[in-house]
Amino acid sequence: MMIRAALLLLILFTFLPSVFADEVGETALDVQVREIAKTLRCTVCQTENIWESGAPLAKQMRDAIRERLELGQTEPEIRAYFLSRYGDYILMEPPKHGVNWLIWVAPFILLLVGGFFLYKEVVHWVKDTPTPPTQPLQPLDDQARKRLERELES
Amino acid sequence: MNKGWQITLILVLFGLFALFYQGLWGDPRHIPTVLIGTPAATFEGPDVETGQTISLDQFKGKVVLLNFWASWCYECKVEHEDILRLHQAFKDNPDFVMLGVNYQDKLPDAQKYLKDFGTTFSHVRDVKGQLAIDYGVYGVPETFVIDKEGIIRFKYVGPVMGPVYTNLTEHVIRPLLNSQPLASTPS
Repeated sequence: MMIRAALLLLILFTFLPSVFADEVGETALDVQVREIAKTLRCTVCQTENIWESGAPLAKQMRDAIRERLELGQTEPEIRAYFLSRYGDYILMEPPKHGVNWLIWVAPFILLLVGGFFLYKEVVHWVKDTPTPPTQPLQPLDDQARKRLERELES
Repeated sequence: MNKGWQITLILVLFGLFALFYQGLWGDPRHIPTVLIGTPAATFEGPDVETGQTISLDQFKGKVVLLNFWASWCYECKVEHEDILRLHQAFKDNPDFVMLGVNYQDKLPDAQKYLKDFGTTFSHVRDVKGQLAIDYGVYGVPETFVIDKEGIIRFKYVGPVMGPVYTNLTEHVIRPLLNSQPLASTPS
């Protein structure tokens, strides 16, 4: 009984949000506003796009996007407008030119450099670890051999 | 790997981290504007006190100082006396116009602010925030100077006072009023 109830709750919580989302009925214009807003940074927030931000300026920017879409402007035109007002800072994803390339390649450089240092360090540890002195194996005497045979037979 | 290389590598890594830190958490107010040297966006809106329409076009051929402010902004109160002093210094020049731009504010609050702190020039309301976006405003106070040809020549984020006031009056407004070239980008 408890398992059934838990399953029912799980199904409700999993599928109900999507049902409600359908009922909200996002228009094609809403989708376009959201897609553009997600790519633009809220200039009065820290690392937040204007779609997610609750700041008044972010809301006004979303309204400005909607108005421009209604006027027939395309997504690149709207992004270009914001870029012309705020510069590269407005873009959530820095454009791939000039010093911005550093942002794109630096993580991989850091990974390579880190990997190289790790490799060097591991090699160093392996080299420096003293190996225990090896002793030649003594042949089994008769008593030990007989005992071993007994153990294996039993 | 010798010590010199290791130190260089550590310095490079430190530099990269500093750049990322600046990019993620740096104050956008210190980012240089892209608007200097570009045509000022035209606008019109209601006067905070009278409700009459104010348009930038009516000041064509004049040096226009735009000061974005809000009643809830502490730094706007800090600079207010200097802003009034600045207007006092240039108000008799027929080629000079000063406009306040009330940003993200409630009209009664803005009117009370002007009544309490006083004003000697007009203030336009940025009702939908479009004007602030057109001027790439990050926050208030922000001050812009537009030359007689309608080109943005100066932008400053923060209160206009002390050395900023001197720079603005002596190295921006006066040369522009006398149609002299500015020494350098004075933002």
